[in-house]
Amino acid sequence: MRDIRVNEDILLHEGFEEYVIDSIRDLDLSIRFTPNAQALFRIRNAKSLRIRGYAEDGCESTILFWNECQAPLKADETYEVNEGAHIVIAYGECAGTETERSTYVALRKPYAHAEVVSASLVSSPLNYRMNVVHFAPHTLGEIRNFAVVLRTGKLMIDAIGKIVKGAYASKSHQTSRALSFEEGQRSTILPELLIDENDVEASHAMSIGRVDDEQLYYMMSRGLTLQQCTALLSAGYLLPVADVIEDPQVQSLLRAELERKLSEL
Amino acid sequence: MKTLEIKNLHVDVEGKNILKGVDLTVQEGEVHALMGPNGNGKSTLLAAIMGHPKYIVTEGSITWDGKNVLEMSVDERSKAGLFLAMQYPQEIPGVTNSDFLRAAMNVRRENPVPLFTFIKAMEKTIKDLEMKEDLAHRFLNEGFSGGEKKRNEIVQMELLKPDIAMLDELDSGLDVDALHIVARAINNMRNEYPLSLIVVSHYERFYELIEPQFVHVMVDGRIVVEGDAALAKKIDEEGYDWIYKEYDIKPASAAAPAKRAPSLGTCAVSEKAKASK
Repeated sequence: MRDIRVNEDILLHEGFEEYVIDSIRDLDLSIRFTPNAQALFRIRNAKSLRIRGYAEDGCESTILFWNECQAPLKADETYEVNEGAHIVIAYGECAGTETERSTYVALRKPYAHAEVVSASLVSSPLNYRMNVVHFAPHTLGEIRNFAVVLRTGKLMIDAIGKIVKGAYASKSHQTSRALSFEEGQRSTILPELLIDENDVEASHAMSIGRVDDEQLYYMMSRGLTLQQCTALLSAGYLLPVADVIEDPQVQSLLRAELERKLSEL
Repeated sequence: MKTLEIKNLHVDVEGKNILKGVDLTVQEGEVHALMGPNGNGKSTLLAAIMGHPKYIVTEGSITWDGKNVLEMSVDERSKAGLFLAMQYPQEIPGVTNSDFLRAAMNVRRENPVPLFTFIKAMEKTIKDLEMKEDLAHRFLNEGFSGGEKKRNEIVQMELLKPDIAMLDELDSGLDVDALHIVARAINNMRNEYPLSLIVVSHYERFYELIEPQFVHVMVDGRIVVEGDAALAKKIDEEGYDWIYKEYDIKPASAAAPAKRAPSLGTCAVSEKAKASK
């Protein structure tokens, strides 16, 4: 585990690494992806984060930001993905503090592939802006958001997939789902596809809604309280984000942390 | 001895009066069959006992083991020993069978069920019901066939070990082999402890396997005829018309068939037929 307290250039290494971002200052980080790197960034404290990421040709890497901040967080992230590179950028949001995040991914060279994934337990205002832009042919961009919005939460997701002219045979897909348990909760998801090329594939799926009453009745008829149903359904929605890191120990650790949060609902 | 006692039960669903005074007593270990034409209140009675929020009890009482069931929430009824195998089990994506069942077992115990004990129990039940081995890891009922969903209800029942189980058309969607597997699992439970059953089915074949001691026929929200297993056999052979005549009653009218919407297909056929004349 490595602490990050000041501005740094981080070179990821092959295998699993864990970083803890803990600073009372605004931080400016650059991350250089390397092949087969898997990194977990626990964000304990940071006023404002500015991250610049660079994935060189052919590298396959995953980074997971796990928000544990006790104070509001603002993050501005930009990633460049080059030829044949495949990166996964994932967010686990269960801190319960106000968060504003802007993620811009440029699929710069052919066959670049980026996945932007989030799982959020929303009990404060949470604002995502995700923008995956295809600048080259044969690129693949995927955005997947899963959120459970609690009574005090307010979710806003602006998910944009953009394919510029000349980026033929590219694919841009996105799915965003928000689940709530009570009436009157506010969630806004804006799925956008901006396509300036004919030979492409693009799709978006979006759902916002309360848990079906029949499902709750079914689960409660086996003895679970409403609170236990909420936790179990939320776990089903959110826990898969932990699996982006391939290390089973890290997966179970993150799952346990999330389950602990859910058990406190 | 635990007894389910229903007295003069009236139930409304979405403003419509469905049950119009039901009396029923189920003693420990008894098996009761509930028969009757469609849309006459059998499922409503079971859902009202389990506490479905859409079903409003306007009059009457339900007690279980001397306690007022109508004052209990749905989960409390389950924990008190009531179980409903539903006609249409819900699909719950994202929640695995094992997580769900372990949570359901734990709410009945002071200490959580040890993982090894749970796995052994789950494996045995999966084997009893001849389900696929990956059942535990699949999402609850998601993508299950109709028969798998019904068998999964009995998997849950076997693991939760209720005192009284209500089976709402459990046999619909089951093929002959599956029907025998499910009946065998239920009968094994009855041999283990004094399980009470209320069974809703239209088919005498299922009753032959479960062997109810009491048969009740429900028409228009009331139990109008009661008897033993011979009554189920007679209904299977003769239908319900003799009951309507003998007791001078009419069944609640089934929902009117939806008016057939015009479609391009039917219009085209009609026009062709006209042209050929």
